[in-house]
Amino acid sequence: MPEDWYMVAIAALLPLTACMLVLQVNPYHALVIRGILGAVAALVYALFGAADVALTEALVGTMLSITLYAVAVRSSMSMRLGVLEPQADPPESLLMALREVLRQHQMRLERVPYANLSALRAALEAQEIHAACIPGLSVAQSMAEEESTPLSQADRLPHLQIRVRRLHDIMQAELPPGQTRLIDTAPFNLAKSSDISTADSIGGQL
Amino acid sequence: MMDWVLLAMILALLIPIYEACQDEDIWQKMLAFASIATKTSMMILVVSVLRDDWMIGVVGVLILSVGNAALMLLAHVLRRMNLGRMNLGRMNLGRMSER
Repeated sequence: MPEDWYMVAIAALLPLTACMLVLQVNPYHALVIRGILGAVAALVYALFGAADVALTEALVGTMLSITLYAVAVRSSMSMRLGVLEPQADPPESLLMALREVLRQHQMRLERVPYANLSALRAALEAQEIHAACIPGLSVAQSMAEEESTPLSQADRLPHLQIRVRRLHDIMQAELPPGQTRLIDTAPFNLAKSSDISTADSIGGQL
Repeated sequence: MMDWVLLAMILALLIPIYEACQDEDIWQKMLAFASIATKTSMMILVVSVLRDDWMIGVVGVLILSVGNAALMLLAHVLRRMNLGRMNLGRMNLGRMSER
């Protein structure tokens, strides 16, 4: 048949784009390449005479699936960080360091502002946010109207309490030191004694 | 004669595929996707004229329009995500002032 050679050449594009899709790391880039794979697959199906399959591939495989996957990836690959705004804005260097660590894991940072410390605590307990950025002891004590005591340098750093164990491990391994203090087993050590039960319940969820 | 046209189209299709393979910017990949979606549907149209097959021709026209629709939907989702990342501080401040 005279049409054989170009059919072979076009069909060879399908495994080529499929390999590109499998080797892609970034989920958003993979979505775009999935669209390319769908376009090439629709071409191959149409050339082999399956016009209905080609139309279904273009409608469902390319348009519907990558749109739904884009929404799913966008809502799941993010770390929700609860912050106290505007009275205790976390330092920009800490946010930059967090974004850099998350970017290496193809995630993004989403800031969720809260008005006061109790609302932040309740949100962390209700699993609305993955992590909470609590200001250092000096700021917290002035907010709690307690007497100021001499503080070490580590206490002045903003505290970062992460609810998800995997995120905590990543941050402990990769976040540069000197930016923040990760709270692990005894959360909210700036809390008063009446709040110990709340802290224990949060610790149990870790 | 038409075979040479198809050969040229296949070679032209390899250019955006290589571009999508090696480029790191998401919008460059979207451009490559737009190029490939249009080129493949044009190839379907050329083959339908070559074989005098109207069924493939109609499907080619539909895929030509649907491919661009998918591109626009995906571009809107990506644009909202990038805008959210850039203007997050400003948006949060606006939300705080509303309270």
